[in-house]
Amino acid sequence: MLAVQPALDAMPAAEPLVSVTKVQKTYFTRQAPVQAVASASVDVARGEFVSLLGPSGCGKSTLLMMIAGLEQPTGGSILLGGTEVRQPRREIGVIFQDATLLPWKSALDNVLFPVRILKLPIEPYRRRARELLAMVGLSDFENKKPWQLSGGMRQRVAICRALIHDPDILLMDEPFSALDAITRDQMNVALSEILETYKKTVIFVTHSIREAAFLSDRVMVMGGRPSTIVLDMKKPFERPRRFEIEETPEFAAVCRKLRLTIEEAHGGPSQRPHADQRAGVIE
Amino acid sequence: MAASGFSSTGMGTETGAIIAGPTATRDTGLTRLRSAGLPLGLAAIVLVAWQLAVTLGHIPPVILPSPISIGKYIYERYDILLMHAVPTTLESAAGFAIATLLGIGLAILITYSEIAREALYPNLVFFQLIPKIALAPLFIIWLGIGSQSRIAFAVFIAFFPVVISTSAGFASVDKSMLRLCRALTANEWQIFSSVRFPAALPYIFSGMKIAITLAIIGVIIGEFITAQAGLGYLIIFATARADTEISMAAIVVLCVCGLLLYGLVALAESIANRFYSAENP
Repeated sequence: MLAVQPALDAMPAAEPLVSVTKVQKTYFTRQAPVQAVASASVDVARGEFVSLLGPSGCGKSTLLMMIAGLEQPTGGSILLGGTEVRQPRREIGVIFQDATLLPWKSALDNVLFPVRILKLPIEPYRRRARELLAMVGLSDFENKKPWQLSGGMRQRVAICRALIHDPDILLMDEPFSALDAITRDQMNVALSEILETYKKTVIFVTHSIREAAFLSDRVMVMGGRPSTIVLDMKKPFERPRRFEIEETPEFAAVCRKLRLTIEEAHGGPSQRPHADQRAGVIE
Repeated sequence: MAASGFSSTGMGTETGAIIAGPTATRDTGLTRLRSAGLPLGLAAIVLVAWQLAVTLGHIPPVILPSPISIGKYIYERYDILLMHAVPTTLESAAGFAIATLLGIGLAILITYSEIAREALYPNLVFFQLIPKIALAPLFIIWLGIGSQSRIAFAVFIAFFPVVISTSAGFASVDKSMLRLCRALTANEWQIFSSVRFPAALPYIFSGMKIAITLAIIGVIIGEFITAQAGLGYLIIFATARADTEISMAAIVVLCVCGLLLYGLVALAESIANRFYSAENP
């Protein structure tokens, strides 16, 4: 494996890699200011998989975009490896809900896209790109264009692309929510396999309780109006995880706890914000 | 985008089902024959009917010369026709090239500067509403009777579709793709060259295809007003002398020149498609 950005490796392991302190985000719209995130504090250790769980419109994507440097917080601070995040940084790999592949480029060239943008040498990374594609079972699809791939395959290419420049942190914004349920389960297993090999710090935004419980070392539930972090659940299960854990009573108990927390934060199941509100708050 | 069926989402390396290749291999030959044969056949029928109508109906050649006599004239006097075709074609090509560059340049300005967009766009649309042909004589007053006034007029009527379609193309880029680029610390030039411009190519070419036909119209109108050479000049000259045959022959040559120029744009498009088409495997 290529060591690309060793800068953050020098830090002592005890320090949190990502440190979010009392971050808030208010959008100033024409009618009234909308507070997307009231106050959120999260410390993420190196190698940790943290899920931000909550219903649509709870500000979890906004928080993720602020950590990515794509949105500016209106208060509080976000430190990455001890320095403030003011703009996007190359130690971060981002995966969105849509694969966002360049339609005219092959899977391999799409994986190499960050290499070209960051002006890194193509040849050594071509080998790494092939390795990554093989890892997600797409060796035979290297030269296929996105339209020739299924939705799950495209998202796997996007994951390879996020890993190609070996970022320290993966930020994933509901990466599997556009996929069908069966593919989604497969992607969860695939992602945990990938992370066994390429150890990364992951912040994963999802509105699926099961997904958060299955994947995470820690689940942070976001909710309330205005939105804050209402629960920080550590180590739900041991690693490595097989899909079978989803059938255990422990898994059911964790999911139940998460669901009750979400419902409490939003004043009962009947008053959950409708999915349509999401667009207004996050984008 | 291809549909994502969950039959093909496994981690395995199954191929067949989702790799869309040329599906209808059986009757492509027949289909191709049909798509070429039908329009040619119809054209042939019209030509024969025209010939018969002129011969049997004793229509005087001043009103309507027969296809054979037009063909004969083209064959015998191709030197004269060619002499007039050259300036028309070159001026059209020049007008088109300038219109394309100007159009893409303005589209970049409109895309990247909000002030430019707000100032320019309404004016461009308003300009489009003027029947621009009415302005052709003014170009002669402003720029004289040389080819520069015809080229300028061709640019004037041809650049608009390039601006509109190119700026639509630049705006068509997927917003999350732009966010991805920003997350990767891409600069504006990288975003433009590797995402925006390639994504806009189909739009740019559709604007260019309209522009090339408009550029030819612009040059012909310019030649109608004043010129010493060119197919437009030849048409006006021959018509004034009631020499309909020459006029028609010039129109035929004009069609060929137009096809040639359009073909060059289509060729450029297919070359670009080799690199930037989603469908080309």
